[in-house]
Amino acid sequence: MSTSALQVAISVMPALMAGLVETLKISAAGIVVGSALGLLLGVIRGQQFRYASPAIGFYLHVLRGTPFLVQLYIAYFVLPSTGISWLKWDSTTAALVALSIYTSSYVTEIVSGGIRAVPAGQWEGAMACAMNRWQSLRYVILPQALKLILPSLAGVYVNLIKATSIVSVVGITELTRQGEISILRFPADVLLIYGIVAAIYFSYCFPALKAVEWLERRAARGS
Amino acid sequence: MSNFESFTAWLVDFYNFRIVLQYADQIAAGLWNTLFAAGASLVFSLIFGTLLAFARRSGNALIWRPADAYIQFIRATPLLIQIYLVYFGLPSLLPFTGRWPELWLGIMALTIHTTPYMAEIIRSGINAVPKGQIEGAMAVAMSPRQRMQYVILPQAFTNTLPALLGQTAILIKDTSLLSAIAVFDLLNAGLLLNSERVRPKEGFLTVAAIYLAIYAVLVVVSRRVELKLGGAAWNRRPA
Repeated sequence: MSTSALQVAISVMPALMAGLVETLKISAAGIVVGSALGLLLGVIRGQQFRYASPAIGFYLHVLRGTPFLVQLYIAYFVLPSTGISWLKWDSTTAALVALSIYTSSYVTEIVSGGIRAVPAGQWEGAMACAMNRWQSLRYVILPQALKLILPSLAGVYVNLIKATSIVSVVGITELTRQGEISILRFPADVLLIYGIVAAIYFSYCFPALKAVEWLERRAARGS
Repeated sequence: MSNFESFTAWLVDFYNFRIVLQYADQIAAGLWNTLFAAGASLVFSLIFGTLLAFARRSGNALIWRPADAYIQFIRATPLLIQIYLVYFGLPSLLPFTGRWPELWLGIMALTIHTTPYMAEIIRSGINAVPKGQIEGAMAVAMSPRQRMQYVILPQAFTNTLPALLGQTAILIKDTSLLSAIAVFDLLNAGLLLNSERVRPKEGFLTVAAIYLAIYAVLVVVSRRVELKLGGAAWNRRPA
């Protein structure tokens, strides 16, 4: 090895940091869009409508039953090839769509579970106060459900952050892809560079996981 | 043109199953590799996961701390990075592994990834066995090893079977990432079709449908398991 490990680490760091910023941006977008979609679908599914709830259940099964990488390839290759003009998107949009839909499947399940876990008496009480369905949801059910689902949601977000590494295969230059590019510069230091990439992921997923555990403990205590 | 003919023409235009049939052999080979990788990783990760669960429960800090560090590291880093670390990194530490087939290294990476998840499930199963069971085993003069083997572990595994099956479903989906290190898995068969024929629908929708079929089988199995484990009272529940 001509250059020392430290020198290699220092010279690849700017690229990796740029990748980290990209990863954080993609994760944030996935969290926002995925949660919004998941919240909407979860609220609908949580109320046992005759046709909507089974339809959403089917959607969840399809997303749960296929690997994220396959979903990503469908968003990247299949949808733009359907001939529908607004589906002809670039790789960043495809990656964001795939990540958001992937996240929404988990959020939907968690939100609908949280809504069902609120006792039926709460619905009846709200109705007895002459609230309509929307008002009962907004002022009575959702605030209680959100408390129950917070730890699970945080867990989903950590999974999402880890899943963003997969979008490197469609050429998004996030952290993992920047690692691959850096390895083209220093082919002898594969282990070192992937080690640094892993350490960067670890340094922000680990505190996030600890936060999830803390939230779970707090929810279990019933504060 | 009859209705049927126009429908077939539309279908072939949208999804040409004849192309898919031409790739039946490759898809079958890919499916086999996917199932083989998942099956081998499942067996290994259950064996190592049980050992890791014991290590994590150990009272000796020299044993449980490294076990915990390993579990935390795997949970806080993406699987793709772990696969790359094994595939590209391992041969620079152990040169002879560079000549191993991709499938072996892939199974190794998936085992390293799945073991901590299995260990945490098994550990929670062991912890959930009621104390009275252990006291009962002690009362009939069982040794610690016998208590573990005949009383605690059988209950720990049956009680956590649904969670273990769920982790298996995740493992099968995770095998798709092995396509990134040139393992010819199911997804790679779809990628091959797409790159040779430039037919993304035939390539990826077929693969997605096969993954869904595998998942459907697992869902049916785990429903049965849950009903069986639920026992007689659960089976008599109002529908």
